[in-house]
Amino acid sequence: MSSNAVSLYLDPQIRDWVLFPITLVMILVGILRHYVVILLQSQPKKLSRAAIREQRALVRAQILRATSAKSPIPPTYYKSISQHLSKAFNDGTYLKDGPPEGDAPSKPPNPLTDPAAMDGMMSGMKTQMVMMVPQMIIMGWINFFFQGFVLIKLPFPLTLGFKSMLQRGIETPDMDVRWVSSLSWYFLNFFGLNGLYRLILGGENAADASRDMASPFAAASAAPQAPGQAQDYNKLFKTERDNLEFAEGLYSWVGNDVEDRVLRRYGKLP
Amino acid sequence: MDLPSALQRLSAYRARSTRASQDIFDKGLVVLNSKSASKLGDDSWEFLEQLALAAIDVGRIDIADQCLQQLIDKFPGSPRVDCLEGIRIEATESPEMALKFYEELLDADPVNAAFWKRKISVLRRMGKIERAVEALVEYLDTFYTDVEAWAELADIYSSCNQYTSAMQSLSHVLLLSPQNPFYVLLFAETAYTSGDVPLALKMFLNTIDMADTDEDSLPPTGMLIRAWYGVKLCTRRLLKDTRLSSKSASHTPVPGSLSLIDSLAKERLDAAYQDAQDGPCAKLVPSWLVQV
Repeated sequence: MSSNAVSLYLDPQIRDWVLFPITLVMILVGILRHYVVILLQSQPKKLSRAAIREQRALVRAQILRATSAKSPIPPTYYKSISQHLSKAFNDGTYLKDGPPEGDAPSKPPNPLTDPAAMDGMMSGMKTQMVMMVPQMIIMGWINFFFQGFVLIKLPFPLTLGFKSMLQRGIETPDMDVRWVSSLSWYFLNFFGLNGLYRLILGGENAADASRDMASPFAAASAAPQAPGQAQDYNKLFKTERDNLEFAEGLYSWVGNDVEDRVLRRYGKLP
Repeated sequence: MDLPSALQRLSAYRARSTRASQDIFDKGLVVLNSKSASKLGDDSWEFLEQLALAAIDVGRIDIADQCLQQLIDKFPGSPRVDCLEGIRIEATESPEMALKFYEELLDADPVNAAFWKRKISVLRRMGKIERAVEALVEYLDTFYTDVEAWAELADIYSSCNQYTSAMQSLSHVLLLSPQNPFYVLLFAETAYTSGDVPLALKMFLNTIDMADTDEDSLPPTGMLIRAWYGVKLCTRRLLKDTRLSSKSASHTPVPGSLSLIDSLAKERLDAAYQDAQDGPCAKLVPSWLVQV
């Protein structure tokens, strides 16, 4: 160790004009990205009343079914609600676009033709672009001006395995692993600044690029999933009809033997 | 009244949405005059909303306007502020105007539950029951899970003697909130009023079954007394008139142990009033109980 302790002497100008600028630029770009993403985010689209009604229609049946084994309501009321729902599901009363005509096989809507789904996909793409473009520019900038620079010496020893991580862009087999190259410093910042952003911008920030970068396809596919997943409510309703019938078989009114329970409680019945 | 304690009280009211308007108004005025509302940060807007509502409630429209103006300046076009503005209109202007205001808001945004509810309440206040029921049914068709709205619909039906419809609404209330014995009691009383005595008896017993604590030896209190009165009324009528059991619209069977239930109800009601030595109940209740 002692023999190569002063094997390299770094110009302080490198610290002032390369190390600090790279770090600063990365932080500033992260913050900028956060605000651009906020600007780009379109308001969540308001659902129409018919759409909300369609979404929530299933809840009615679920609520009815949830208590059917010990239902709080008497048989006549239960039956009328259950049958009404079953009929409505069958006729498609709750469907957003009204009952379907004829028995044409309903196909899931194509997300590319549905403007609502398109919007969701576009917003995902936009966020991706905001992340990719500045990172590409910074990387180009570092590669162009500071290629092969050694920027900093880590204050702790590391094993040889870290060589490819810390000395990217410098092809020397013999240099101590503790020296960090400019490109590696960029990557360290890229993955390591999240904590700092959280400190500056709060927990829910969009500044951290590495999160999206880690799985670029996950981000791209997750974003349009929510609006794009075209659920075929007609099919769901038909399934729910079966569930309703099962629940009706299970149905029993909680009041069936309530008088015995009350009497037993006060010791009037054994 | 010092500032910190006033602020603390106000935030406690906010958290529980208590309607203690006079108290909120007095304390809110202290905060408002001390110009420290801006120091509350994001809470200051909620405070202004709270104070505006309380001020409308106690009739100090000037203060309400002051709060409202600040909110409008801060959040132009916010539905929540629009709703507050509507309440402010309801306070002083004619209900027709408030109705028009809400209808315009609903045209722009038909899925805002708060606007619907305000509109329905204005309609009911104006006495336009049919339109209120229409709006309420339309609202519930979209927002099925609103227990309070179902209860309101049942209340409107009951006020028009439409007990069957009221019970249908109440059955939705029971489905949505099966853990609340007050709604069961309400259903029982509606059933009794509609003349379906066997069903009412079952529902009163359900209430007792749900609401009674484990200390069965203690005399009944609160809603339990009410439920036992209901049981007693039902058993008395059923024992006196056996034909009544076949008149149940919901085909509810009459329990076989009717006389046992009857004597149990008498016992529980006696227990409830055993401590009332003097006062009108001491004599009236026992004499009512032994009536046939």
